[in-house]
Order: sequence, then structure tokens, then C-alpha cells
Amino acid sequence: MNKSLMNAKDAELIVKSSVLKRRRKDKRLKFYGRSTIFIALSFLVFLFYSIFEKGIPGFFQYYVTLDVNLDQKRLDPKGDLSHESLYNGDGRGLVLEALYKVIKPKGRKEKKSAKKIISSNADVRIAKMILNDPSILGKTIPITFAVDDDIDSFLRGYIKRDTPESDRRINDKVINFVDILVKENKVIYKFSDYILTGSASRSPEIAGIKGALIGSILTLVVCFFLSFPLGVATAVYLEGFAPKNKITEIIEININNLAAVPSVVFGILGLAIFIGVFGMPRSIPLIGGMVLAIMTLPTIIISSRAAISAVPPSIKDAAYGVGASKLQTLMHHVIPLAIPGMLTGTIIGMARALGETAPLLMIGMVAFIVDIPNSIQEPATVLPVQIFMWADFAERMFINKTSSATIILLVFLILMNAIAVFLRNKLERRW
Amino acid sequence: MTLIYLILILLFISLCWFYLGNNSAKIIKTKSGRLHSLAHYYGLYVLLYSFLPSFFVFIIISVFDDLLFSFLINDYIPDNIKIEPDYNKTIILAQIQNLIDGINFGNPSDWIILASEKMQEWFKISTISNYCFSILVAIIGGYLGFKNIDQDFRSRNSVEKIVIFLLALSSVIAILTTIGIIFSVIFESLRFFAIIPASEFLFGLTWNPQFEGAERAGSGQEGLASYGSVPLFVGTLLISFIAICIAVPVGLYSAIYLSEYSSKKERSFFKPLLEILAGIPTVVYGFFAALTVAPMLRSGGSLLGLDVASESALAAGFVMGIMIIPFVSSLSDDVINAVPQSLRDAGYALGSTKNEVILKVILPAALPGIIGSIILAVSRAIGETMIVVMAAGLAANLSFNPLDAVTTVTAQIVTILVGDQEFESAKTLSAFALALTLIVITLILNFYALYIVKKYREQYE
Amino acid sequence: MEMNEDKKDFKTNTVGDIFSDNPKIVSRNVSVYYNDKKAISDVSLDIGSKEIISLIGPSGCGKSTFLRCFNRMNDTIDGCKVEGKIFLDNENIYDEMIDVVPLRAKVGMVFQKPNPFPKSIYDNVAYGPRIHGLVDNKKDMDNIVEMSLKNAGLWDEVKDRLDSPGTGLSGGQQQRLCIARAIAVSPEIILMDEPCSALDPIATAKIEELLQTLANDYSIVIVTHSMQQAARVSQRTAYFHLGELVEVGYTKHIFTNPTDIKTQNYITGRIG
Repeated sequence: MNKSLMNAKDAELIVKSSVLKRRRKDKRLKFYGRSTIFIALSFLVFLFYSIFEKGIPGFFQYYVTLDVNLDQKRLDPKGDLSHESLYNGDGRGLVLEALYKVIKPKGRKEKKSAKKIISSNADVRIAKMILNDPSILGKTIPITFAVDDDIDSFLRGYIKRDTPESDRRINDKVINFVDILVKENKVIYKFSDYILTGSASRSPEIAGIKGALIGSILTLVVCFFLSFPLGVATAVYLEGFAPKNKITEIIEININNLAAVPSVVFGILGLAIFIGVFGMPRSIPLIGGMVLAIMTLPTIIISSRAAISAVPPSIKDAAYGVGASKLQTLMHHVIPLAIPGMLTGTIIGMARALGETAPLLMIGMVAFIVDIPNSIQEPATVLPVQIFMWADFAERMFINKTSSATIILLVFLILMNAIAVFLRNKLERRW
Repeated sequence: MTLIYLILILLFISLCWFYLGNNSAKIIKTKSGRLHSLAHYYGLYVLLYSFLPSFFVFIIISVFDDLLFSFLINDYIPDNIKIEPDYNKTIILAQIQNLIDGINFGNPSDWIILASEKMQEWFKISTISNYCFSILVAIIGGYLGFKNIDQDFRSRNSVEKIVIFLLALSSVIAILTTIGIIFSVIFESLRFFAIIPASEFLFGLTWNPQFEGAERAGSGQEGLASYGSVPLFVGTLLISFIAICIAVPVGLYSAIYLSEYSSKKERSFFKPLLEILAGIPTVVYGFFAALTVAPMLRSGGSLLGLDVASESALAAGFVMGIMIIPFVSSLSDDVINAVPQSLRDAGYALGSTKNEVILKVILPAALPGIIGSIILAVSRAIGETMIVVMAAGLAANLSFNPLDAVTTVTAQIVTILVGDQEFESAKTLSAFALALTLIVITLILNFYALYIVKKYREQYE
Repeated sequence: MEMNEDKKDFKTNTVGDIFSDNPKIVSRNVSVYYNDKKAISDVSLDIGSKEIISLIGPSGCGKSTFLRCFNRMNDTIDGCKVEGKIFLDNENIYDEMIDVVPLRAKVGMVFQKPNPFPKSIYDNVAYGPRIHGLVDNKKDMDNIVEMSLKNAGLWDEVKDRLDSPGTGLSGGQQQRLCIARAIAVSPEIILMDEPCSALDPIATAKIEELLQTLANDYSIVIVTHSMQQAARVSQRTAYFHLGELVEVGYTKHIFTNPTDIKTQNYITGRIG
């Protein structure tokens, strides 16, 4: 009966003869798998490296220390120390005089090119110092000023001395002056005053992310207060009360599909409905938060439902057993146990919302906004949009600042995800 | 800002009603010795009766007064302005609003000043009536609820009914969102197709949108703007294809390694690391693509004698590929793990090596699920926006060459709709038509992928 | 000679005759650990050529674990460690030099739940010969598939639909397909891990009938929780209890006149 099957001994010989080759194939597949993981991770490392390599220097910048004579009359023409009077004062002139004392330019032409060295923001800096401490008026004190971004780039070596003068953004005279400043030990390299506390500006040396960061926080707050209650309520309804019928089914399919809609579409929704139909103003965190809330809602609903359904039925049965109603059972027993899971999903959703750019572009949060927003109804921009805008600017220093802003964004994201992981690991009970 | 105080007032009134309801229920209990529900349910019942209707009134008034006023303001706009060719009500409303806010550009015409004064007056009326009405409703509503309290009243059941109704209401938001998306996109698209025939949009080979003004300025020629979306879809597919070419092999092999070869420790180390790739914001990828990858490809290309555009499809596709690696790898990993152990056992018991079990047993069994995960990744790539906006550029070239600059559907939507736009022009409307096709494509892909994955799960459950 | 020394060097508490006149597999002092938990300890047992031996015992007694030692399927479980020696044709299969691929080709296995691949019936049977490269042309492959299915008693039921999926067969047919798949690679031993527990009585009867014919060509080790089945199909029976081999002997003897008190209790239904 067994005749037509191969003899066991012959089969054994065939198998043994090929086994080495097959083992080699096995090793090869394992090697491929390992290499692809290595490749994927090296992309990650490369990405982080290229951002940090440019971003860390972005947190620092060059300053010049000058002994400025804080002449009361020129700084405070009205003499009442009011904002208006101080901002009309001739701070810039005094700073330039202090500069000329060090570099000693000859003639008007040289003076004109020397003006370029100090950031245009110098007078604002002096005005602020005086507002803080009016007693310094009339004294001569050393003050540090940010240098102009071209000088900064030169000091960092991005603008090279041996490039022909006509191809350089700064001419030989200015380089000469900078050399004098360096020789006199007036130039220092330190942590930037502006990157964290400045707001949007066209001059890279004084541009910072404060406005965008506050815009991001306001937007996220709106997003959270809309999406968390709505998402949890929807999840509770669908898990606890919804009858199994066509309508519920449609709602569920709907939620799954919304999770797959490209984010840019939510921007279109915001533009057409909130701005187009309801006539709400553009660029405000309120609308940004609403759009992001709609975008985050499916994530929160899906993870909250998972958290609720993970609570074992025995706990519900115990509550029903002592005569609690359905709502009481959910409110007193199920939801408290499901909260860590819900929060985890919410934080992950919020982290995604924090990094989202495209829908906010559509509702106008891309506007160039210098003022730091105070409420959800004032025009604002957000961190990722700020990155997007800065990435478009040509100045060398903006590349560093963009990378620094990216680092800050990534730090926030990592923080949020770490909290989510912590919640999942520490608070979530396993049954 | 004053509206926030109103909400606080409404909350305060309803809290007072809670206190009253709670107390009167307690009194009934001490008097008659029995009460259907716990006392605080009576308080809650009165609170809900007071707050919900007043809040509803508040929302209605504060949302719809703007709409009403912008309609009423029509009477104050002179007829000769209305018939002007570039008449745009949005701009006029903005001018009026600016005047109210005290922002002044130049000298506004008299009728604008008049309109804005009228508008301010109306706003005052609306705010006052908002206060009056909603506070009145809060008090009356609370009183009506309060009257219902007696010892046999089933307050707990009523409160639960209201709460469940509110929960159900919130689940409708998801539906409303979808309806909102579909309507906003379909209506504007229909207006677009009334100007530009659908056949031109779907099959035209040139994409060159222009504002009406620019069209007219272009020496009076008709048809200067053209809305053939084929180059955009070709660009989208080209970039997605490049992304998939990177993400699928890397993601799939990683998934195979993680699920079949790696030790538990290795897996718990590598898997989260890979998932970081999915958590990085797309704008960061876009910046990385434009700043680092594109110049690298360009200089690399010139070494090989290739002319790589500074905004090439390759750079965008490459970075997008990196971004979607984790989508392919985690979904494939799930799918591979869902293949029952018994099939692996059968393979090993017949003397298969690991790679034979993987290639000849697991992958064929997991294939539908893997295809599903790839389709989801494709739909993700098609809808991705920031990377292409920043790295792929806006030149609508009809090209299959990955070294050329191309543009995509999403990039065009963003460029057209960012900034001020006239809602009436074909250019603006074309973005909605693009969005409509984008939604249709991604939804079909998503439906199909979920269907496949579901079918596949059922097979092994 | 050294090999035979190894085989004699063991201790056993087992009641009855663990030896076989013509042994195919010789196991000596086999212990298996899952992480630090000892699953079976010091089991020594011979399995004869072309005999059917059944392993019985209450659930969790280690009979399946012992069975999975013979083709080293325990290797696939994390944290599983095997001590002791198992000789297959005088070769210690736990020797470092042994590759599991030819070993498993030689020792086929059929599982508790039928587990056909989600492929066609033909491809299910052809899978083994294909990966091992046993034949190199379609005609020989057809032949192997046909003979394997015939030997598994399935040919007449499926010969017209070899291209339809194996998962579409009934449970009993699927299990016979798995047997056909195992014998297609020409093994010498077939391990069966409760092969009928998921089947109805009629399908079970068919498999039991098949076992008798298969015993002409193969040594068969069958784990079963059904004492009746053990009594019906096997020549010898080994009784396991709490990871130890308590008693082994001719089936008739074990079921009519067990020596050990634990075996008696199990046979009479007092434990189980």
C-alpha cells in the first residue's frame, strides 16, 4: 500500500542534503528583517540628528556688549516715563554712539554700514530696561544687544570671509568692524533671549516662539474642552445605552470613517461652515480648537469605548446585583475604572492635534501675527504653523530658529506621549 | 467676553434651584417619611430643568444674531454699491466690523459709518435681550421643575432619562460632522461644476487656476485658466507610489522580524521606537524633506549626472515613505500575530525552517490583512498634506519622472484656500471639487481596506 | 557501544516494562521545564517499531509535553527546557549537532485541532514534499499527493476537488487531510496529540480504523484522553500522573489489571 510513497530512508537523505541551504535562506531572511529595522531606525536617528544639529545652535546667538550712556532727555523726551514717551525716544541713536566709540568709523559711509551690526530691536530693549528700573536713567552702563542676523551668520562661519565681497551679504567694512568688536572682547555667544520669549518677527535675531506657543496652548485647551466631554459622552452612550439598530450602526461606521478622513478636509469644513456659514472671524484659536476637536473626536471615542468595554462585566453585574440602575452602574463603577484608558486616548489625540498643521492653514492661522494672543478670540498662530512659516524664510538664521522651534514642539509631544504611556502602565488595571 | 458672565449667571441660578429642590425634597422626607428617590436627584432634576433650556436659548441668540444682522444690514448698503461688479458682502461686513472695533483704514464712507452705528446698536440690543431671555428661561424652567416635586415623583428616572438623552445627543455630533463635511464640499463642488464641466475637471491635462481678475487682465482671452486635474492626481499617485515603495518593504520586513524572529525584549524595545516615526508631526517631516533630503538628492543626482528638481517628487515621496513605515509595520504585525499558532505548529511539525513557515504559511494566510494595511497606508499617503506642500512644490507638471517637480491634490487645496479668497471664483471653488474627489478616494480605499481586514479576522475567529 | 551504555544508565520508578524488543525511540530520564516549573520528570520509555502506543492520564499530567519532545516541538515554546536523552535510531535527538528540520521530516505530527493551511487540498499535501524538495516534477508530486490521500483514506472523498480549500472540508476530513499531509513527507513515526478530541464519533471511528492500517508502516504515538480509544487502538499504554510516568504495559493488561494504585484509580474513574 505504501509502495508509491517515497521510501523513508531516501526521503531522509534528500532532506539532509538540502538542509544547510535552507538554513542559509532562513538566516538571510532574519538578516533582511534586522536590516530593515536598522534602516528604519537610522532614518529616525538621521531625522533627529539633522534637526538637533541645526536646532541646538538656534537656542544661542551672538550679542555685543556696549557701554551706553542712558541720556534721560533723549530717551524720555516727554519726561513722564510713559510707554509712549520711551518708545519715541532716541535709544537707537545712543546705542549707535556707543558702538561708534568702540569701532571708530570714519565718515558717513562707514557709519552707515556700521549701523547694520546691531539688531533693529536695540531701542526696544533699552525702553524695556528703563521701564523695569527707571533709576538707571542718566547712567552709563554696559548693555548686551543681539547682533543682526547677517553678522550672526558671519560669526558662525556661514558667511565666509573669502567669498568675493559682491557675493556676500555683508561688506568688507562691516567685517572689519566686527573684527574690532571681537578683538575688544565685546562679542559674546550665549543663550538667546528671544527664542522662548519673543514673538513672530521678520528679523530672525529677535524672532521667538512665545506667541505661537501660547496660540497652541489656547487652541489645545479649546480642543480638549470640546472633544473630551463630547467624545466620552458619545462613547458612554454607544457602549452603555445605544440600542442595536441601523442608526447606531450608521453612527459607528461614521466614526470609523471620520478617523480616516485626511486632516486637510477638516480645515475645509472649518472654512466652509464656521467661517463661511456662521461668519466667525479667521485666525482665532476658538475655531482652530473646534476644527481640531472634530478631528480628534473619533480617536477619543474609539479609545474611550475600548476602555469602557475593557471593564469586566463582573463589576457591572455586582452593581446591578445591589439594585443600581444602568446609569448609576456606569457613573459609579464603570467610568471611574475606565478613566485612565480614556485619558490615555485623549492625550494621544491631543498630541496629534498639537502637531497638526494643514487644517489650521485653511482657517487662516497662518497669518503673520506679532501680538501675543490673550484670549481664544484674538488672532493667533500655533507652533507647527510657525515652523511652516519660518521654514519658508530664506535667512540662514531662520533655519536654526525653525529647527529650535521643532525641538520645542517635539519636546512637548514626547512629554505628552510619556504621560500617556505612564498612565497606561501605572493606572490602567489589568483584569 | 460679557457672554461668559452670562453663562456663569445661568449656572448660578441653576445651582440655586438645585439647592431649593434638594432642600424641599429633604423637608418632604422628614414630614412624610418617604420619598421615591434620593433627595439630591430632586435637586439635579430642577437644576437640569433650569439650565438646559436657558443654555439653549443663550446659544440660539448668540449664534444667530450675527446672521440676522448681516441680513438686516443690506438695507444700509447703498444700491449703487450693490450693483458694482466687484461687490463683496464679506469685505463690507469686515469693514463695518473693523469700524466697530475701532480699527480705521483711511476715511470710511458715510454709509459705512451709519451701518456700523446701527450694527453696534443691534449688538447692544441682542446682548441685553440675550441676558433677559436666558435668565428668565432659567428661572421659569427651574420653577416648572420645582413644582413637580412631591413624594411620589420619580425624580431619579427623570434625571436619568435627561442624561441619557444628552449622551445620545452628543453621539449625533459625529453624524453632524460628516454631514457638514459632505454638504460643504458637495455644494461648493456643484457650483464649481456649473462653471467648469466635470469632464474637463476629471480628464483635462492642464492645471492652471487663475482668479477672475487675472483672467480678465490677461488680454481679454477666454479660457486662460484651466482646471484639468489629471496632473494633480498623477503627482499624488507618483508621490504615494514612491512612499509605498519605501514603506512596504521596510515595514513588512520589520513586522516579520518583530513578530517571528525577535525575542520579547527586542520587540518591546524596537516596536515603540518604530512608532515614534508615526508620532512626529508632518510639518517636521516637511521641513526635513525640504531642508535636508531634497538638497541631498539634488547633489547626489548631480554626481550621477542627473538633473534633480529642487522640489522633486522623490524627496517628498521618500520622506512620506519614512512617515508611513509604522502604519505598514504595526498593522502587518497585528495581522501576522493574528495568524493562529496552530498553523505555525503545522508548518514546523512538517520540518519547515522559520523562513519557510513565514513565506509559505504565514504570509499567504495573512495576505488579505497585509493588503488591507497597505491600502490604509496608501490612503494615508494620498491625504498627506504638509510634506508635499513643503517639499513637492506647486508646479502642476504632468510627469511620471520622480526627479521632476510635481504637485498633489492636497498641496493645491492648501495653496488655493490659504489666505484671502473670493468664495465665488472658479479658482476657490476648484479646491472644493478637489477635496470632494480626495474624500471619495480615501473613503473608498478605507472602506475596502477595513472590509478586507474584517473578512480576514472573521476567518480565524 | 557508548550509545548503549547511555541507554542503560538511568533510573526509573515506573511500574511495568518500559522496554521494547525492537525500539524505534528510546527515551531516558527526560524532564521538561517551563521556565522554572517542572512539567515532566525523569520519564524513560521505549517506543517500538510499527507499534501503536497510547499515552493516557488526567489533563495537565504532561503526556502532551512528552509527546512534543519526540519532534522537538517544545523548542518553539519560549522558556521551555528539555533534559535527558531521546534516541531515535541510536541518535540522540537533543544532541547539539542535530538539525530539527530532518528530524521533523522523519517524525510527523497530527494535532488536537485539525489545522489545514488555508490553501487547496492539493497544496496542503504537497507542502511538505515541496519544502523538502522530495520530488522535482509535477507527475511525481501528483503521485505523492494521491498516495498520501489514499493512505489517509481521503482520496475518494476529495479526488474531484483537489483545488478547493482544505479549510472547507468537514472536521474529520480536515484531520485526515492533516494525516495525509504528515505522511506525504515519508516519516517513520507519527505523533498524534488527541487527534479525535474535536471530532464526532463517526469521524473518530474512521480515524481509528485508519490508525490500524497506518500501523503497518509507521510507529505511532497517540495521546488521548479517552481510555476507550486507547483500549481500541493501541498495543501498549503508558499512564502519566503529575508529570511522572506511573505505569506502562500491554494495553490489555493495563486496563484489566493495573498494578499501581494511581493507575487503578484513573482506570476506574476515581480521578480524571
